[in-house]
Amino acid sequence: MSVLRPVKRAVAGLLLGTVLAAPVWAQPIVIAIGSEPSTLDPQLRDDGGERAVNDNIYETLMARTPTGELVPGLAAAAPTQVDATTWQFKLRDGVKFHNGEPFNADAVVASVARIIDPANKSEQIAYLETIEGATKVDDLTVNVTTKGPDPILPSRMYWMKIIPPGYATSGDLAGAPVGTGPYKFDSWNRGTDLKLVANADYWDGAPQIAEVTYRFVPEPGTRLSGLTAGEFDLITSLLPEFTTSVPKFAAVPGLETSVIVLGTDNEVTKDPKVREALNLAIDRNAMAEGMFMGYATVAKGTHVNPAAFGYNANLEPYAYDPERARALIKEAGAEGRPLVLVGESGRWLKDREQIEAVAAYWGETGLAVQTEIQEFSQYLDSLMGDGPRPDAIFIANSNELLDADREMSYIYHKDGKASSNSNAEMAAMIDAARSETDVAKRQGLYEQVQKMGRDLNYTVPLFNLNDIYGMSERLDWKPRVDAKLMVKEMKVTE
Amino acid sequence: MLQFVLKRLVQGLLVVLAVTSIVFVVTRMVGDPVALMLPLSASDAQRTEFSAAIGLDKPLLQQYLRFLGDIATLDFGDSLWQRRPAINVVAERLPNTLLLISAGLGTAVVLSIPLGAIAALRPGGMVDRITVSAGLLGLAMPQFWLGLMFIMIFAVKLKWLPTSGMGTPAHLVLPALTLALTPLARFTMMVRAAMIDELNKPYIKTARAKGLTLPRILRVHTLRNILVPFLSISGWELITALSGYTVVVETVFAWPGLGLTAVQAIQRGDLFLMQAIVFVIAFLVVLIGIAMDIVAKAIDPRMELN
Repeated sequence: MSVLRPVKRAVAGLLLGTVLAAPVWAQPIVIAIGSEPSTLDPQLRDDGGERAVNDNIYETLMARTPTGELVPGLAAAAPTQVDATTWQFKLRDGVKFHNGEPFNADAVVASVARIIDPANKSEQIAYLETIEGATKVDDLTVNVTTKGPDPILPSRMYWMKIIPPGYATSGDLAGAPVGTGPYKFDSWNRGTDLKLVANADYWDGAPQIAEVTYRFVPEPGTRLSGLTAGEFDLITSLLPEFTTSVPKFAAVPGLETSVIVLGTDNEVTKDPKVREALNLAIDRNAMAEGMFMGYATVAKGTHVNPAAFGYNANLEPYAYDPERARALIKEAGAEGRPLVLVGESGRWLKDREQIEAVAAYWGETGLAVQTEIQEFSQYLDSLMGDGPRPDAIFIANSNELLDADREMSYIYHKDGKASSNSNAEMAAMIDAARSETDVAKRQGLYEQVQKMGRDLNYTVPLFNLNDIYGMSERLDWKPRVDAKLMVKEMKVTE
Repeated sequence: MLQFVLKRLVQGLLVVLAVTSIVFVVTRMVGDPVALMLPLSASDAQRTEFSAAIGLDKPLLQQYLRFLGDIATLDFGDSLWQRRPAINVVAERLPNTLLLISAGLGTAVVLSIPLGAIAALRPGGMVDRITVSAGLLGLAMPQFWLGLMFIMIFAVKLKWLPTSGMGTPAHLVLPALTLALTPLARFTMMVRAAMIDELNKPYIKTARAKGLTLPRILRVHTLRNILVPFLSISGWELITALSGYTVVVETVFAWPGLGLTAVQAIQRGDLFLMQAIVFVIAFLVVLIGIAMDIVAKAIDPRMELN
């Protein structure tokens, strides 16, 4: 027997032991994102790059499951209503910020005060503008008060990230964030990458992945190459046609719904028959297959996101009936009359392609359809400005709060920013739902509004768009309906 | 000479002023930066407030006068996208661009002289024909496509080099090569043509008759004669790279330089950052122009400086 054998055996045993004893989470991953955060302050900007990073560093009182269900986050349980304008949150005990500051009522009060302070000019205020303030009841209890009855308050608290009050005044939230989340900020090479490391003391147990690096790669082709070359583990916004050329991919119905808003007071589109024809003229199934290779779901008669509260699941998608569409246009005496479809290009997945396909279908009905692809700020002016409403305008509508209030007040309410109708009855129903605290009644009101919108053909809902992600072989992850890239939900298999 | 330099500097400053003024006007004409900067959900009050905060509510002339006053102190305002002084963003990204351009153009210069010279020795020969064809191909290929091809071959298939980003010397190789190819082709063709021209001149025949070896003739006489046109073409390439190529190359390779930043500033309607970038690039371009003239004069004192 070789004298070396026991040594070899010992070394092998030692190595094996080391491998087995090594923490399972000792795996770094790289995520390529298209835009670099403009700041890492979690309360000031409304910025996709910032969210991609900070969703892992900070936490909120309410969270969502990957399928969109609202659940307690830093709150110990769902909030209770003290009165019409006061919601009480019990907080999770024993949670600490990464710098050692305790998470408690003071932190929540300070976070609310900071984000609603007009001096801070938070861009996120649109999600939180109903909030009046927050008061401490005891160390682990906070009352959040609203300006009027606000049933969406729990959803709003899913948006607001909790900051450490001490560090917020003395530290650098914009450059070196400190939260309670599963990942801690490590470093940021501006222009190139940003690194987070696992928070071993995380209250819900240390995450599996030890380290995550975000690379900023604006060009989609380069992101795709990086994934194929094995440099990245996850890329966002993968085009449907590339699903076959990446090691792995995952798709999930996302927050965006493409919809065309019709000008119900405009010359041609004020006729309900014309609007009905516009809905019947489009072969949505063919578009979903041909354009999105199946990674889009035909919207069922409404532009409300199916995962949002208030969605009316009983509506049927509009049928494809070109004959009937042509007949309706004839009946309305609209043959040969002009209709302008306004849109933009390059902002949302296949936006231009959708606009052009719809215009072609509409042209088949006998209308003289023109498309007008506008530069983005001009488009925003068409969408939300004070000028005359377009006959038809394309929107990829997103719903971050996953509550129908957003789509209702934005597109259906006569005073909504992107609305093209003057229906006072519909507006009253939306106002009533906005302050209705009885959940079932509120759901009922939204269902009614959607039914009305569908019957009157106020919009042409197209697709619930899927979010498609390219992944490396070793990454194990199911994407979320709210498009958050939660690294603690990811695992690496070697 | 001093008078010349001063005159050129004044001219240059006027050019820089003109360019930045044009950018000032154009950025205020194409779309509303407030609409681009704020999220769709922003309220009218937020928009008005934001517009006032960045001075866009003032009359254009007043904005322009303030702008002129500010650029005199290199104050371009805060980048709307990054919320910090635009000039700081430029100062952070400019060295990355200069590194990329030096590597790219340096490669082109170093390779083009021997390649052009070898091709010129036997015009019409095999080496010459290959060089000319490759040169034409190099001039014809768009850099965007070339960059993607390099990524596909050397990063994705062979896995020799990283696809994108910045950090190690390996990250520099592909973007620098992509940037080098067009100038390399142009330099090589130029060196080749000038060499052929020079080699046919009587003084070469005299020199050879006197028994000088070809390498020595090339080194001592010919190269010196083609140096001035070479210098002016490289100055031109430097300017083109600074104001054009880098935008494409940096975007394809996610190289955090001024070109990529310019693209992002335009996409985000960040007019203050755009103004700062254009100012710095215009300033550099003018400076390079003056430096080229001075160096050319130093090499060839017969040159008229006008």
